[in-house]
Amino acid sequence: MSDRMTVEVWLYGPVSRYGKEIDQDLVQDRRVEASYGQLHLRLREGSTVTDLLEHLKLPPEEKGITFINGNLAAMPGVDTDRDVELHDGDRVGISHRRSMWPFQYRFGASLDETLRDSFRERKDRGIHHAYTEPDE
Amino acid sequence: MAEILRVNMTDRTATFEEVPEKYQHLAGRGLTSTILYDEVDPTCHPLGPNNKLVFAPGLLTGSVAPTTARVSVGGKSPLTGTIKESNAGTGWGQQLAKLGIKAVVVEGHPKEEGWWGLQVTKDGAEFFEADEYAGRSLYEMAPSIFERFGDRAGMMTIGVAGEKKMTMAGLCFNDRENRPSRYSGRGGLGAVAGSKGLKFIIVDDTDGPGVEIADKDLFDQGRKKMLNALRSHDITKPKGGLNTYGTAVLVNIVNEAGGYPTRNFREGRFEKAAATSGEAIFEGNQERLGEELYNHACSPGCVIQCSNTWFDEDGEEMVSCIEYESTWSLGANCGIGDLDTIGKLIWLCNDLGIDTIEAGNVIGVAMDSGLAEFGDGETAIKWLDEDIRQGTHLGHILGQGTDFTANAFGNERSPTVKGQGMPAYEPRAIKGIGMTYAISTMGADHTSGYTIAPEILAVGGDVDQFDVDKAELVRAFQQTTAFIDMSGHCLFIAFAILDIAEGFEGLVEECNGLLGTDWTGDDVTRIGQEILDKELAFNRAAGFTAADDRVPEFMRYEPLPPHDVTWDVPDETLDAVFGEA
Repeated sequence: MSDRMTVEVWLYGPVSRYGKEIDQDLVQDRRVEASYGQLHLRLREGSTVTDLLEHLKLPPEEKGITFINGNLAAMPGVDTDRDVELHDGDRVGISHRRSMWPFQYRFGASLDETLRDSFRERKDRGIHHAYTEPDE
Repeated sequence: MAEILRVNMTDRTATFEEVPEKYQHLAGRGLTSTILYDEVDPTCHPLGPNNKLVFAPGLLTGSVAPTTARVSVGGKSPLTGTIKESNAGTGWGQQLAKLGIKAVVVEGHPKEEGWWGLQVTKDGAEFFEADEYAGRSLYEMAPSIFERFGDRAGMMTIGVAGEKKMTMAGLCFNDRENRPSRYSGRGGLGAVAGSKGLKFIIVDDTDGPGVEIADKDLFDQGRKKMLNALRSHDITKPKGGLNTYGTAVLVNIVNEAGGYPTRNFREGRFEKAAATSGEAIFEGNQERLGEELYNHACSPGCVIQCSNTWFDEDGEEMVSCIEYESTWSLGANCGIGDLDTIGKLIWLCNDLGIDTIEAGNVIGVAMDSGLAEFGDGETAIKWLDEDIRQGTHLGHILGQGTDFTANAFGNERSPTVKGQGMPAYEPRAIKGIGMTYAISTMGADHTSGYTIAPEILAVGGDVDQFDVDKAELVRAFQQTTAFIDMSGHCLFIAFAILDIAEGFEGLVEECNGLLGTDWTGDDVTRIGQEILDKELAFNRAAGFTAADDRVPEFMRYEPLPPHDVTWDVPDETLDAVFGEA
């Protein structure tokens, strides 16, 4: 197991159910409630957020905001977290699509570098509340 | 023709006046702040005879435009000493507007002890003796008011905290179920009503004239655009974020971001936050009721419907509503991590007539001062239910707010700006909200910095959240918020109209349709700035300077975990927001 690392994962809202389904071999410990799940996972070193989501079998369309170590790493419609490599001791928070973080309450908060770069390149500079198309 | 109702508590007279020409296009916060600027000496004592309490429905309030049941209340705040506007979502404001009343101005000072109510109908305004309702639990007392005045009446009242002139006292309005649960909570305006002997304003709009609309086609076009935006945006749509999880949808997000103030702003993340979140409320209710429960409207005509209800273990209603700010202030900020205790504390705030945000700040500071351990819900309940309710000496200290309590117990860690306790976002971790708190004309206020469509924000220059100088962006937030607060729309429309340009067009068209004006997007920021200019002038005349536009000193030297950050926004940046730059 020397090539394994421990990552703390928090799942919020309905996506918490994927915490129950993950392969037992990867689980160090877990507490899964209906509204949230907290898991310590033993993942292969070099694993990315995409690898984590695959382990969880969490469909992309259900995933909302991602945090890595308290830094905002992805929002619905801006999936900049995919290739981010995780490290031993990291904390990852994943919320359901229905959660939100309006701009005025995240203005000046800490962003993961990849998301920051993505926002810098956008014409709107990342000040929208949502990045998904409204429903018809 | 709309009128202003002037209520003199010195001689107990109520008279209707014509609306002056200069007030014709003002409403809501725009009107309360203008009347205060025009009529109130900024150096007056907030509880003395020269302060006034002004109620004004928004511009669109009482019309069929969606989510427009806001009423603004203004006065000089006994908590902050600044001008204050605090608004609530309640059918009360709609009824006032439908009676053709643009504002109620309460002034003077009673010569004798005693409590009075004012009943306002299409036939006029009459006083009634209210001593029999004073000193009582609001939940116990409220039904007797609806029994007397009818179920469709609207109620504005104060609780024992307002009667005792505590600066954490709010003004209480009824919700759609006639619960005493909708608040103009912030800034101690309940104490101003108390100082004037005003216990109630009861409104019934039966057979009232309704709201005049100058150009119905344009108004309808605007409100349909607004409706479409609200119904399609992820945050505001049916079964979207707010309708499912309420405002407490933010708990897990802000906690994960490390910006969720915990144990009197000692940490930015609370280990039990997830158990007190909007998701936990939704799932907890489902478990206790055996079915999914989506949220309800706080007031008639709201399509966002973000108000929740928390049910106890027996499936009986405990309290409505557990807002984000309340589950935080009485939860994480006090180290309390279970919804039943938080629900009980919120119920007590509603019952006593106090602001949940200030109450949680006060309890947090008291715990931080060693009066109880963090997490001791039993003592927190006792402080509210016994000390504040009975008016013990401790109750009177706590009732005077966060700064007063911190001073009383020699605690330098008082999380306030201009004397008002901070809401549920840590300035050190989320710098933008810290700027909003610092420069708001109202003291630490999370609702003074909402955004509208980027094309409007771009007026006067490029907007970039990554610029070192964020002053211009913050100024634009303040302007657009002031305009929404005038419109009568709930601020939450800002979520939809920032992202959906047609929704913003709808806002302007609704206003133009109602008034017959030809405002454009530029007028939104202009009018917003005009409101701010009056508020800033009032505050300056009251003695406030740039040195008051600061977050507390301890945030500059005490690193906040988990990011271990201090407050580092330069004073010059804050001063540039409303400066001559």
